[in-house]
Amino acid sequence: MEGTKKIVLLGQFGVGKTSLLRRFMTNVFEVDYKTTLGVQIKKKEITLPSGKKLSMIIWDLEGFSSVSNTRTSYLIGSDGFIYVFDLTRPVTYFNLREEIDYIEKNYPNVCLKIIGNKNDLKDSSSIEEYLANKNLKVHGFCSAKTGEGVEEIFRHIAFKIGSNE
Amino acid sequence: MVKEDKLQLLRDILLIDDREVAQAINRRIETITDTIERREKLSEKVDPIIEERLKLFVEEIPLSLGPVITDTLKKQIAESKDQVVEALYPIMGKMIKRYIQSEIELLSENMNRKVNDTFSVVAVKRKFRALFTGVKESDLMLSELDAPNVNEVFVIQKGSGILLGNLSHTATVDKDMISGMLTAIKSFVEDAFEGGGQDLEAINYELYSIHIQNFHTYYIAVVISGTYTKSFENKLENRLLKLSKSLSPRISTLTKEAIDGVLIEFFKKWRVQKK
Ligand SMILES: Nc1nc2c(ncn2[C@@H]2O[C@H](COP(=O)(O)OP(=O)(O)OP(=O)(O)O)[C@@H](O)[C@H]2O)c(=O)[nH]1
Ligand SMILES: [Mg+2]
Repeated sequence: MEGTKKIVLLGQFGVGKTSLLRRFMTNVFEVDYKTTLGVQIKKKEITLPSGKKLSMIIWDLEGFSSVSNTRTSYLIGSDGFIYVFDLTRPVTYFNLREEIDYIEKNYPNVCLKIIGNKNDLKDSSSIEEYLANKNLKVHGFCSAKTGEGVEEIFRHIAFKIGSNE
Repeated sequence: MVKEDKLQLLRDILLIDDREVAQAINRRIETITDTIERREKLSEKVDPIIEERLKLFVEEIPLSLGPVITDTLKKQIAESKDQVVEALYPIMGKMIKRYIQSEIELLSENMNRKVNDTFSVVAVKRKFRALFTGVKESDLMLSELDAPNVNEVFVIQKGSGILLGNLSHTATVDKDMISGMLTAIKSFVEDAFEGGGQDLEAINYELYSIHIQNFHTYYIAVVISGTYTKSFENKLENRLLKLSKSLSPRISTLTKEAIDGVLIEFFKKWRVQKK
């Protein structure tokens, strides 16, 4: 349906998917960690540069260890993926190469953006170096806690998808 | 007896007794040392043999007995599949039930509110009707409760869960989110029963049933209150088949408004609860 797009938040356990969505939806942050079970779905309408409105239906999935063993039925029909990793936990981005390869192979038409969260806790420069060495392109870094870069990533993917029409 | 004799006798008794006791103790000690010594000697010789045998035995069990045990287990499981399933079923069932309940809470909360809000009005109307028609109020109530009623209709894109069209008279709950949730629940349940190709056809939730009918690229979910009878299900199924004949060829080109329009037209004659 034109004007309505499905965006899925992906990433390992506790990287901050739900926190990012909460920050984007209601501009708040919670310190408590309540792991997501299954999926929760939120909707947010944003206005594109063209003046058209776009409804983002955002699926916040439960964490996984690898995108290849998440429920495919949650992923199909998506227009965008936001893949979140945690700057403070290398295990959440060590397998990024395989993750990206898997997504690009299986969902070639889905717009994929990768973002490192919790940049309030850790300086990203060493990780940037690591990613550059591995030839991994990430969209940027953000913090659900301070709100830095959060609105931007959601708007960015919405504009990208909205302009593909 | 003279004093001397008595003393002698006493000494004799005591001495003899002493000696006998000492002898008995000695004998006992001897047998004990003997057994201990012999045992020690014995075990010195025997222990390594036992140990070796034991080691061999332990090593051999998996090789010689392993397959037998595995086979027996396999056979037992195969022969008692029903029991295994029976044992697992409640756990799985509970998991699914819990998931559905939590996901649908939002939906049902709103619906319950809706019901409570209207019940008062309905109740007043019923009282009047009972008064004027002479039919017992409880009978009227039963007939009202019994009648299945289409409350909402959702046309939802498969996979993405994006709402393509909808017929409803409430605006409080976000329909886009409901259709996403329904789709997530549906795929969860369908995935849970890996046998493949099985579609979820209905969700029952207290006073409501959600009838789900699958088509190629989309599915239709109908929220029904009242008793969801088999005959009503049939009727509804046929109705939705008819609807799909008109929708399917142009589903990808129609706008949401157009599909909403088609739904209104189609369910005109059905009692869609007006709020
Ligand atoms: N300092 C800091 N903590 C964060 C940030 N984002 C999330 N957290 C914390 O990290 C924990 C996990 O956050 P969630 O948003 O629940 O993570 P998730 O990815 O949704 O986790 P799952 O649903 O289990 O996969 C929570 O305790 C959050 O408070 C951040 O940007 N900075
Ligand atoms: Mg979460």
